[in-house]
Amino acid sequence: MLTLALDTATGVCTVGLVRDGHVLAEYDISIGLTHSEGLMPQMDQMFSRTGIKKEEIDRIAVSMGPGSFTGLRIGLAAAEAMAYAWKCGICGVNTLEAMAYNIPVEGIVLAPVLDAQKGNYYTAFYRWQAGVLQEIRPVEMTDGDTLLRQLLELEAPVILMGECGKLAKKELPSGISVAPEQVRLPKASSVALAAEGKPALTGEEIFTLRPYYIRKSEAEELWDKRHPKA
Amino acid sequence: MEQKDIYILGIESSCDETAASVVKNGREVLSNIISSQIAIHRKYGGVVPEIASRKHIEHIMPVIDAALEDAKVTLDQIDGVAVTYGPGLVGALLVGLSAAKALAWATGKPLIGVNHLEGHVFANFLNDKDLEPPFLALVVSGGHTALLKVTGYNSFEMLGQTRDDAAGEAFDKIARVMGMPYPGGPEIEKLALEGNPEAINFPRAMLDDPFQFSFSGMKSAVINYLHNEEQARRPVNKADVAASFQEAVTDVLVQKSLLAIKATGLKEIVLAGGVSANKTLQNKLAAAAEKAGARLVHPTKILCTDNAVMIACRGYYMYRAGVASPLNLNAVPALKLG
Repeated sequence: MLTLALDTATGVCTVGLVRDGHVLAEYDISIGLTHSEGLMPQMDQMFSRTGIKKEEIDRIAVSMGPGSFTGLRIGLAAAEAMAYAWKCGICGVNTLEAMAYNIPVEGIVLAPVLDAQKGNYYTAFYRWQAGVLQEIRPVEMTDGDTLLRQLLELEAPVILMGECGKLAKKELPSGISVAPEQVRLPKASSVALAAEGKPALTGEEIFTLRPYYIRKSEAEELWDKRHPKA
Repeated sequence: MEQKDIYILGIESSCDETAASVVKNGREVLSNIISSQIAIHRKYGGVVPEIASRKHIEHIMPVIDAALEDAKVTLDQIDGVAVTYGPGLVGALLVGLSAAKALAWATGKPLIGVNHLEGHVFANFLNDKDLEPPFLALVVSGGHTALLKVTGYNSFEMLGQTRDDAAGEAFDKIARVMGMPYPGGPEIEKLALEGNPEAINFPRAMLDDPFQFSFSGMKSAVINYLHNEEQARRPVNKADVAASFQEAVTDVLVQKSLLAIKATGLKEIVLAGGVSANKTLQNKLAAAAEKAGARLVHPTKILCTDNAVMIACRGYYMYRAGVASPLNLNAVPALKLG
């Protein structure tokens, strides 16, 4: 099965081609938020370099969030349009879970985090066991101090991943380290690998995909605050 | 030799409507699908960009699918994908643009980035099959007020535009001050039907430059009037205010348009943009144009507001001229006209 994967949830714009667990190509660009401009040219270059024909694609794996709202929509709109054109399926993958596929190593806790702004992070904790990824704490939004406390309570070696730059600037407690740069951020190959074995949506079902925002828009949050009874 | 029929898929998501359409040979509307968010934004008193973007991503592909289905055209038969890339809300634009770029690339069809405002002007080609450039265009919307000379299908010359507020912006602001729901323009028009357009004489800024507009002074005058009456505890006849304000705005628009007709000698003027749905504006401009030996063309009601038919139509003429956009086309929120 040939999977085309993409992740535009963060500052990295990454596209990849994975066939039955083997990474054929991955193209990551991390030069700031230029995904709208870069996504399709990146895709085009990857296809022409590999010689893979568009009609060979069996399914599309797309990173659904959490992440940048706009980035998620750029990726999902493109994924839906391609799946619609090629009549193939889409598998939506949690961005944090996909990141855990960057480091498939047992004996450590993986804590991918994404900047949720205002000092908050989207995060979930994972652990690899017998080649299977286990979620040990589900996705939630939390502030940096709470996050570090939760990690310490695990009493296990932890690797922070994702947009953890601000956290890493503080002195991290012993046992908590930061993933090396080249596997810290989303990779399309990991999105594809995370999608393997998961069902894909097909036909009109692809229209039901929604980015994993977690948070409401600010306008809605404000409205809810002002109208507590509604 | 008979030319091959050209089918353009149009996609529009610049503000609060998700729309797609298939147009044949630039002038024949095969489908016109619009998913409107007006009801969703009403409780916030205006369009909330993040909410608009969230609704666009939910609706974009179903709307495109419905446009193809309604037109009884397959994606394979489409010759080009036309999409609005500005002006508009950046997050909203990016949804339609991202889908359009991927659709065009995935099918190997040309991508045609369309200026939303040029699209509004081209909505007139759908209502009047005989209309051909050159002609004048009065573009009046929530974000723009401009007089444009359309010299050819792909050439435009800006005669003048507003220095401050757009006419539609003034409509919406006055409506909000008078406690009317969003969008205010149609509400003012409805209320104005019951009022006296000569009840209050609001100032009409004519400016030295014959083709420039200014509506901020008029807007302030209406707001000041409302405040003064309130302070003096005099009952305000809102219908009279609406009618008098609408009269003042349309007076300026009509007079400037007449000056442009006289200066250019052009025999046709078209209305474009959301405010072009205003009946008072249509009637006054039609009468004035006729007196000056010209005729007014305006879009049908459904094509006055945002739609993708106009984008497909504009895209068709770009396609015919061999204009295509690169895959790195980005949204341009402040894209200019002309």
